[in-house]
Amino acid sequence: MPLRSAPLPRMAGHLSFMRSQPKAIHDVRPDQLAVLGLPFEDTSAPFAGQSLAPRALRETSVYFGWHANPQFSHPVDIDARQDIKTDGLHERLCDLGDISPGSEEAVHAALMTATCQINRAGACALLLGGSDRLSMTVQDALQGCQTVQLGGMPSDARDFHIAPLHNGTDPTLKIDTAVHLASFSRWRDSTRPLFVRFDLSVFETSLSALCDRPRLGGCNLDTVTQWLSTLGQHRVSAIMLTGLNPTRPGMGVVKVGQRLMVTALLAFVYARLGFGVMDSSTVASMENGLI
Amino acid sequence: MTTAIKTSHLPLNQPGFRLFDGPTSDVADATPGQIGVVGMPSDWTHSSRLGARFGPEALRKATTLLQSMRPQGASFNPDTGNRTVPAKNWLVDCGDAEITADDVDATTQAIAAMTEELSVSGAIPLALGGDHYNSYPACLGYSRGLARRAPGARFGYIQIDGHLDFSDRLGAWGKFNHATNARRISELPNVDVRNMVWIGISGWVDGGDLALIEKEGGRVFSAADVHSLGTVEVVRQALAHAMQDCDELYLSIDIDAMDAGYLPGTGSVVHSGITPRQYYELLDGFAEAPLGGLDIDEVSPPLDPSERTEIIAAEMLFRVLHRFRTRPVAEK
Repeated sequence: MPLRSAPLPRMAGHLSFMRSQPKAIHDVRPDQLAVLGLPFEDTSAPFAGQSLAPRALRETSVYFGWHANPQFSHPVDIDARQDIKTDGLHERLCDLGDISPGSEEAVHAALMTATCQINRAGACALLLGGSDRLSMTVQDALQGCQTVQLGGMPSDARDFHIAPLHNGTDPTLKIDTAVHLASFSRWRDSTRPLFVRFDLSVFETSLSALCDRPRLGGCNLDTVTQWLSTLGQHRVSAIMLTGLNPTRPGMGVVKVGQRLMVTALLAFVYARLGFGVMDSSTVASMENGLI
Repeated sequence: MTTAIKTSHLPLNQPGFRLFDGPTSDVADATPGQIGVVGMPSDWTHSSRLGARFGPEALRKATTLLQSMRPQGASFNPDTGNRTVPAKNWLVDCGDAEITADDVDATTQAIAAMTEELSVSGAIPLALGGDHYNSYPACLGYSRGLARRAPGARFGYIQIDGHLDFSDRLGAWGKFNHATNARRISELPNVDVRNMVWIGISGWVDGGDLALIEKEGGRVFSAADVHSLGTVEVVRQALAHAMQDCDELYLSIDIDAMDAGYLPGTGSVVHSGITPRQYYELLDGFAEAPLGGLDIDEVSPPLDPSERTEIIAAEMLFRVLHRFRTRPVAEK
C-alpha cells in the first residue's frame, strides 16, 4: 500500500527515516538519497549508548514525514515564509535499514561495501551514526574524496572544518558565515567525491546535552542549517551523522539532540534532492544538478 | 508500666501543593478579579510523548518553592524598579477538574464547567495543563462565562506556542486533540480569527493551516519575528491586533515555544532559539493586558529529569501574574 494512502496513526510498525520507503540496496537509483543506519557501539566512547542513535534519529524524523501524511497539505518554513515542496520526495528518499551487528571488522567491511554500492549507483548515502570511528571507513570507500567536517575532532588538515571542537584559546566560536562559504567554494574540487561529517558537537552544548563531547560556544541552529543547505547543493556522495548519544546517563527521556540534528538535516535532505532551494538568493552551487 | 501517649496538636499544613501556596476554594466562592486556578491533569489528547498530566502538580510545587524563596513582605523588584508588597487574596486554587481518560467530551465539559463558573463570577480562570488540547475546554468555559457575564462582549486570543494547533483533525485523535485546540477555539461564538494571534511559531508548519489563518485575518509571529522585531514590539503589535473591538484577552501559554535546549520537558520540542529571557519579556508585556482568562500547558515533568522545565514554567506564571501578585507602593 502506498504510504500516502495509509491510514493514521502510524506510530507502530516499520520504522523508517521520515517515513520513507524501505528499499533493498541493489534497488537504489541515481540521485536518490539512501538512508543507512550504523548501530555501532564504540567501546572507547566515554558513555555507552551511541549504537542507539540511528533508532533515535529515525524516531524523531517521523515528525517530518510530511510527504507520507495524507492529512497535511504542504509544509511551510514559517521563519522564511517559504513553501516546501514535498512532491516526489517519496520516490527519491529510501531507507535501506541498518548494518548488521557483528565484529568491528565485519561492521567496517559491510559499511565499506554498502557505501561503495550506493555511490556506484549514483546516489547519496545518508548514514545515521553514533560513533565517528566509522567515518574513516566511509572516506576509504569514497576514494579521493574531499571531507567537510561540522563539529567533531579535526583529523586531517586537508579537510574543510566548520566549527572544529577546539578553538585554540578562544572560548567562543566566531564564524563569519559569508567569508567561510567563500572559502569553502575555493576549497571545493567538484571533480572529487564529497563526504560530509555532521557531528552533534557542532552545536553549542546548551542546545543539546546529548553529546558525549560537549562544546561550549558552538554554532546555533541557523548557522548549521545554512551550511547544510549549502552542502546539499553540492554533489555530496555521503553524509554521516555522529556524536549523538540518546541515552547519556539520566537523559534517556530527553529527545533534544536528535530533534536538533534532524531539524538541521532537513535542509540538507531537501537541497540534495533539489526541493529545498526555492529562493534563488539562497543558491550557492549548481553542482548537484538537481536545483 | 504503660507510658501515656502524648498527642501533639500543632497547626498542621495541608498536604500537597497549591499554586503559589495559595488558599483552596470552590469555584463558586471565587470573587471578581481573583485568579481562579483549575488543574487539568490530562494528556490523553496528546499524540506523541505523554507526561503533561503531571504538569499541574509540578506547577503547584514549583510555584510554591519559588514563592518561598521570594520576600514575603515589602520588596524591591529589580526588573521593574518598583517597591512592591504581596497582594492579599489574589488567587484561589480550585483543585483539578475531573478527568475521564477515555472520554474526551466528559473531560472537556468538566473543565469547561469550572472555568465557566469562575468567569461568570468575574474571576479570571487560570487553567494548568495538561496537554495543549485542554486549552480548548478551559477557553470554552471562559467563553460561556463571558457570554453570561457580559452578553455581546468579545475576546481576543493570543497563543504563545511553537506550533499553530490549527488543524481541523489529526488522524485517529479526530477533532479534539493537542493539534486542534486553536481551531476549536476559533469556532467559539465570541471570538473571531481576526482577533487571534500566534507568537513563537517555529520550523515547518502546515501550509493549509497557515493559509487559512491568514485568509481569515489572524496574525502569526514566527520565532524569527520575535528575534528580529524584539519582544516589546511583538507584544505591542499582538495586542493591537488581538484587542481590536474586543473587551478582554484570553492568553494561552504553551511552554514549547521556548527553545528545547532550555526547556526539554515538553512533548513536542522545537528549536526556536527563543530564550527564557525573551519568553519572560513577552509575558511581562501581556501581564498588563486586560486578561479575562489564561492557561499554561505542556509541562511534562517525566521528560525532564533536571526539573528545570517546571521551574521555568513557574517563573512564566510569576511574570504574567505580576500585577496580581504584588502591589506597587510609593517610593520613599
